Amino acid sequence: MIMPQGKHLLLPANPLFIWSSLVAAILGNMLLSMSGLGRAAWVPDLLALTLVFWNVHQPLRVGIGAAFVFGLIMDVQQTTLLGQHALAYVVLSYWAVSIHRRLLWFPVSTQTGHVLPLFALAQALVMAVRFAGGAGWPAWSSLLAPVCTAGLWPMATAVLLAPQRRPPDPDKHRPL
Amino acid sequence: MSLGTLDRSPPPFFKQGLSALSKLTLLGALAVLLMVTDNRFAMTAAIRSVLVTALTPLQWLAMVPVQWGQSAGKRFQLLETAQAKAESTSRALAEQSARAGQVEDLTLENKRLRDLLGLRERVATQGLAAQVLYDAADPYAHRVIIDQGATQGVQAGSAVLDESGVLGQVTRVHPLVSEVTLLTDREQAIPVLNTRTGVRSVAYGQPGLFKHELELRFMAGNADVQEGDVLSTSGVDAVYPPGLPVAKVVSVQRQAESAFARVQCEPFAQMGSTRHVLVLPPTGLLLPPAPAVPETKHPRGRDKTARNTNKSR
Repeated sequence: MIMPQGKHLLLPANPLFIWSSLVAAILGNMLLSMSGLGRAAWVPDLLALTLVFWNVHQPLRVGIGAAFVFGLIMDVQQTTLLGQHALAYVVLSYWAVSIHRRLLWFPVSTQTGHVLPLFALAQALVMAVRFAGGAGWPAWSSLLAPVCTAGLWPMATAVLLAPQRRPPDPDKHRPL
Repeated sequence: MSLGTLDRSPPPFFKQGLSALSKLTLLGALAVLLMVTDNRFAMTAAIRSVLVTALTPLQWLAMVPVQWGQSAGKRFQLLETAQAKAESTSRALAEQSARAGQVEDLTLENKRLRDLLGLRERVATQGLAAQVLYDAADPYAHRVIIDQGATQGVQAGSAVLDESGVLGQVTRVHPLVSEVTLLTDREQAIPVLNTRTGVRSVAYGQPGLFKHELELRFMAGNADVQEGDVLSTSGVDAVYPPGLPVAKVVSVQRQAESAFARVQCEPFAQMGSTRHVLVLPPTGLLLPPAPAVPETKHPRGRDKTARNTNKSR
C-alpha cells in the first residue's frame, strides 16, 4: 500500500462511532443555537465539518445521500426553507468525495486551506438560494462562518481519528 | 477501504452504485424541488412535522447543559441584583394592581354601553402559557421555538405575548413544539392603532445591524405621529385581540423629497431574551360566522352597498 511518509497505519473505523459522531454534531449545532449565540451568523457549522471529514476519510460509508438526509434535518431544526441545507450539503459532500484521494496526502494544516473553499461555496450557495427567495444580506459576520468551520478542521482530525489511532489489540492465541 | 487504514474488507469492484456526479444531480434536483414546494405550495408540512418530532429527544438532550448553565447563573448572581429585581417587580405589581382594580369596573361599563348601542360584545380569548425553548439559528429570519404544539391546542396564526407586549405570531405548528415569527422579522406585519390619535396603520418588521425595530410604512408626510406615541393592536385583523401594547414610536423623519414619513418604532416585548410567553388563539376563530346574504336580484349599485355593509359589520 502506498502511504504518505511518516503516517501511522490506522485501525478500521467503527461505523457506530461514525454515525454517533454525526448525531453528536447535530447536538452540538443545537447546543450552539440554544446557548445564547442564537442567530449569530459567524457560528461554525459542526455538522458540515463532520460530514466533510467522514466524506474524505470514509467515502464508502458516508456519502452524498447521507449529506442530503442530514441537510434536511438541519433545515427542520433551523426552521429554514426545506432543502436549503440539503442542497448545500450535497454539493459540499460531492466536492469532498471528489478531492478525498488527493487531500489526505497533505499535512493537516494544508488540508484546512483545501476545505475552506468547500465551506465558502456551501455558504455562498445558501446565500444565493435565500437571495432568490427574496431575503437580503444577512450580516457581514456570515463571511466568517466558513473560516470558523474550516479552522476547526485540525481539531476534527484529532478528535474523530482518535479511536483509530489506538494501538492495535493483538490476540494472544492468534498472533497473526 | 480508505487511505492508510487497516480495513480488512476490500473495496467493491463491481457494485459501485451510482456515480458521485449522478447522485449530486439527482439529490440536488430533489433539494430544489423541495425548496420550491416548501416556498410555493406549502405541501411539505408533513415531512417537517415528522422530522421535528423525531428530533425532539435530541433537543431535550441538548437543552440539559443549557438549563444547567442558566440555573448555575441564577444561583451565583449577586444578592443585590436579586433584591433590586424583586423590588422593581413589586413596584410594577403595585402600579398594575391600581389599574387592574379599574378593569372590572370598565369592563362592566363597556358591556352596558355596548348593549345600549347594540354592538357585538368583545371577544374574550383564553391564553395558553408556553416557554421559549431556543432561537432558530437562521441569520435571515427572526423566529423562536416554543414548547407547546398541536397536542396542547396551539393553532397556526395565534398571537404570542410576553409580559410587556406582543412578541409575534405562531407560523408553524408541530405536534409538540411550534415556531413563532417575531414582529421584527422582515416578513412579519401587524395592524396597529396609535393610542393617542386613534389612527390605524400596519407595522412591518425591520431587522437592523445592531437593533431590530418596527417601521410604520406609507404614513403620509403630514400624518399626526410623534415620538413617544404608543401603538397597540387594532383588532381589525381577526388575529390579534385589540388593545395589546405593541411598540413605541422612537423616531419620525419627515423628508421634503418623500411623500411619506419614516416612522421607526421600538417593540415593547423583549425580542431577544424572553422566556415565558402567552399564546392567544386568533380572534377570528371565536367570532360567529357572518350571516348569509340572501341571494336576491338587485340593481348593480344597490348590490355593492349591501356587500359593503356586510363587510363592515
